[in-house]
Amino acid sequence: MANTVIGSSLVIDGEITGEESLTILGTVKGKISIAQGLSVESGATVEADVEAQTVTVSGRLTGNVVARERIELKPESKMVGDAKSPRIVIADGAGFKGNVDMDV
Amino acid sequence: MADKETVIGPETRISGEVRGEEDLIVRGRIDGRVQLTQTLTVEKGATVQADVDVRHLIVAGTVVGAIVASESVRLTSTARVVGDLASPRVVMEAGAAYRGRVDMGDIAAARAAVSAHAVQRPAVVEKPATVAATATRPALPRMAPIAKAAVVAKTAAPVAAPVPAARPAAQAAAPAAPPAFPRVAGATGAMSPAWAKKKIRRR
Repeated sequence: MANTVIGSSLVIDGEITGEESLTILGTVKGKISIAQGLSVESGATVEADVEAQTVTVSGRLTGNVVARERIELKPESKMVGDAKSPRIVIADGAGFKGNVDMDV
Repeated sequence: MADKETVIGPETRISGEVRGEEDLIVRGRIDGRVQLTQTLTVEKGATVQADVDVRHLIVAGTVVGAIVASESVRLTSTARVVGDLASPRVVMEAGAAYRGRVDMGDIAAARAAVSAHAVQRPAVVEKPATVAATATRPALPRMAPIAKAAVVAKTAAPVAAPVPAARPAAQAAAPAAPPAFPRVAGATGAMSPAWAKKKIRRR
């Protein structure tokens, strides 16, 4: 399903680019630019500027996010940074601080 | 289940540092550095252009960089590897392509060398400074370029050596010139005052 998985003990410092979906359970710092969906799972930490088709956050994400389709913040998720996407879903219980830009 | 293991997919590229305490399977590409306490598997079609420090390394794809594996290295028949290799157990299957040095002895030393290699990288950035310093030498006879070059050397390189070396040379060149000048002026007389003035201005 997810083509690339970053495991929970893994720390990546740098840039991730790709044409497929990315699931993060560990830690990524830097920059993420992918053509499909990014999933920041519960327990994961992402400190990066993100560009993706869809972004689903269950863990912690710090950085500016641009999603071409959708951003979804699940309950228990924490996000700090600007969110730009035509559709943004913030679930009850999610923490968010930053700008929302839905291009309206 | 599948989400437990780390996989870098075929269409994904990471540039930077990857550290972890689990297995990592690369089908795409990693540039930079990989440090794992478990197994790194570089699958066929994958490229790892990085210094690698892992427990086990299995290569079916391409690896370029210094490799340290604390337990074993296996280069399968499709492996393409360039770089020094340090591990107590090294297996190369028929068909594997490898260029580099193999060390099955002192892993600690090899590991230190790899980390030193990483530390040395900033020094490579300083190289242009020394190049600029040596470039100032042929420019010595002319005054203005020296000043510029000295400034460049100062700003580009906090390396003290070339700057003091350039200054005495410049001072030496300056006093040497005036005694020669009157003789030239006397010989040519008033025929080329503009030329002489130019020469004075230049100095």
